Amino acid sequence: MDVVGKDASVEPSNANDDSLNYHTPNIAPEWQVNGNNLTNTSIGMTSVCNSMVESSACSSPSMVDSFCPTVWDHSINGQSLGYCDVNVQNDVSTSSNLGSVRADLGWNPSAMMRGGMFMPPVSGMLPNFPADSGFIERAARFSCFSGGNFGEMMNLFAVPDPLNPFSQGLGVVHSQRHEMNMAELSKEGGLFMGKPGAEGSPFKNEKRSESLHDEAKQGVGIAGNDSDEAECSGRGPQEEVACMTGESPGKGLGPKKRKRGGVQNAQNDENNETPTQSAETTKDTREMKQKGDHNTTSNSNPGSKNGKQGSRGSDPPKEDYIHVRARRGQATNSHSLAERINDLLMMQVRREKISERMKFLQDLVPGCSKVTGKAVMLDEIINYVQSLQRQVEFLSMKLATVNPRLEFNVEGFLTKDMLQSRGGMSSLGLLPDMTMPFPPIHPPQLGLIQTCIPSNSAEALRRPINIQSPSVCAGFKEPSSQVSISSISEVSNWEDELHNVVHMGFTSSAPSSSQDLSGSLPPGHMKAEP
Amino acid sequence: MKARSSLKQEFLEKWRKGLQIGRNDSTILERKDAIKLSADVAIAATRNAATRWRRALLCDVVSKNPTNKHVVEQILGHKLKNTAATTRLTTACRRRILRRGQNYRRRKRNKRSRALRKLVPGGEEMDGVLLLQETLDYIVSLRAQVDVMRRLAAIT
Repeated sequence: MDVVGKDASVEPSNANDDSLNYHTPNIAPEWQVNGNNLTNTSIGMTSVCNSMVESSACSSPSMVDSFCPTVWDHSINGQSLGYCDVNVQNDVSTSSNLGSVRADLGWNPSAMMRGGMFMPPVSGMLPNFPADSGFIERAARFSCFSGGNFGEMMNLFAVPDPLNPFSQGLGVVHSQRHEMNMAELSKEGGLFMGKPGAEGSPFKNEKRSESLHDEAKQGVGIAGNDSDEAECSGRGPQEEVACMTGESPGKGLGPKKRKRGGVQNAQNDENNETPTQSAETTKDTREMKQKGDHNTTSNSNPGSKNGKQGSRGSDPPKEDYIHVRARRGQATNSHSLAERINDLLMMQVRREKISERMKFLQDLVPGCSKVTGKAVMLDEIINYVQSLQRQVEFLSMKLATVNPRLEFNVEGFLTKDMLQSRGGMSSLGLLPDMTMPFPPIHPPQLGLIQTCIPSNSAEALRRPINIQSPSVCAGFKEPSSQVSISSISEVSNWEDELHNVVHMGFTSSAPSSSQDLSGSLPPGHMKAEP
Repeated sequence: MKARSSLKQEFLEKWRKGLQIGRNDSTILERKDAIKLSADVAIAATRNAATRWRRALLCDVVSKNPTNKHVVEQILGHKLKNTAATTRLTTACRRRILRRGQNYRRRKRNKRSRALRKLVPGGEEMDGVLLLQETLDYIVSLRAQVDVMRRLAAIT
């Protein structure tokens, strides 16, 4: 509890500082000003960016002075968040790799860089490290395993292979710390970034928490595996597992706490690691102490306390981490709070639009009234569209087989359609034979023809209906019969259209086609035209 | 009712228009393709050919077989001068959408939405909201098309 509280209290301040740091290149002074707090938080703040931060990891203020400004400048390029996003992205993409790598990431003074520790700048910095053996020593001294982390980082950036034993050893130690740092850093970073977009991110967090879970699990698991023998013998991994399986949020702090305890345990219990590792563990422990006396005390009581605290404390880090990762999905150029809020609002509006359209689709697609939820609805919609498309294919095939030629008698169909669409009731008076909605072609045609006969010359009507003989053009020009029918059926416009269409089809059809059409006409139709 | 029937009638007329073009179809498959082509173009040309799926469908039709162009033109009643423009528009939309990180993410997201995008013509370039909207319109048009074709098949 104490540790948690302290961390919580520390982190917000750090977050604020970090925010300031983000925007001010003068990190070093601020960082120094914050002193222990910063250091502690920075230590804990190594998140995914750890890899990069590692390179710049200089726990010691002196080293910080030398490194931080440079690294800071890199990070400060107005891309603090963006970098973080990049980091997160990188982590996500290579979660499997990064899981281990991240675990190996040393905690770094990336705390400062919290927002700004990013691969690009760090990688740029990396080359500096190998040459700085003295730095490595200092790093080791200050439990800044950037050197070792650097090796890890090199692995990360280059090929993940067990490079130098130094890095390996460090990596083992670091892994634990990395987890913690990651958690802390993520927490703090997330805290910083998550605060503004707290509202919108929850749902994103939910989505990303899982991925984060996975990644953290990987990192934690790997670290746990590494550190099992080294430090936490039994407790570490268990706690880690507990943290992982328990609450993802609690993971951040939990591993950290666990690490501390593990570190101490390693110190006390065994030196599975190389002497350097043990030395570093010692340093780590010291660093841990720096973070918070409470933490160290908790370390002394690592078992349950760490687990508890870890689970509890990791909640905010996890959420923040999620926030960070969530933001990765969003446009990386949304720095300001206003932009974030705007994004959230847009997301909400979009969701509303989607739900509205889903409602329409529900009405449209048959059998979807009971279905709830986007997924099942989408399934139904997909099935429906597929079935409609298949029906079109099937029907076109059927029509192709029926008609030797493509110009089938659409007129009768038109008539029938007219009847159906318009109810055709009004036309019943004139065309008693056409009352049936789906009659075979004979009755409607006959009816139409019969109707036409009394009204006018049958040919005039017949010819439009049977686009067979081009010579019927003359008779075709008498719209009166059709018009009368249309007027009665209240389909005047439709009739005119039909008339026009038929006329056009009539004139454009080749004589041969008309002959074929006549051949394809049903016998009733043939009878209709004596 | 009136709107629906007018849609069907419009489709029917345009379909007929497309079928009027003389073709040398000997096999059933060819005939079926011709029928289907005319039907698809007709249904895409109904109402206002402004929705994306319509334009995408017309572009696909023309690009697949240049000879289909005159069918489309006949049905549409005007020269397809905007085919290139439509294609460009689609490409531009696609590029615009690709640039947006959000849409990129969404497109990768769902198996179902991916399946739906494959079904609806031009769906690859649409984002989530637009996809649903276009699907709505597309379903309505498909239903009208199937209705008319079924009735015609019942007659013949």
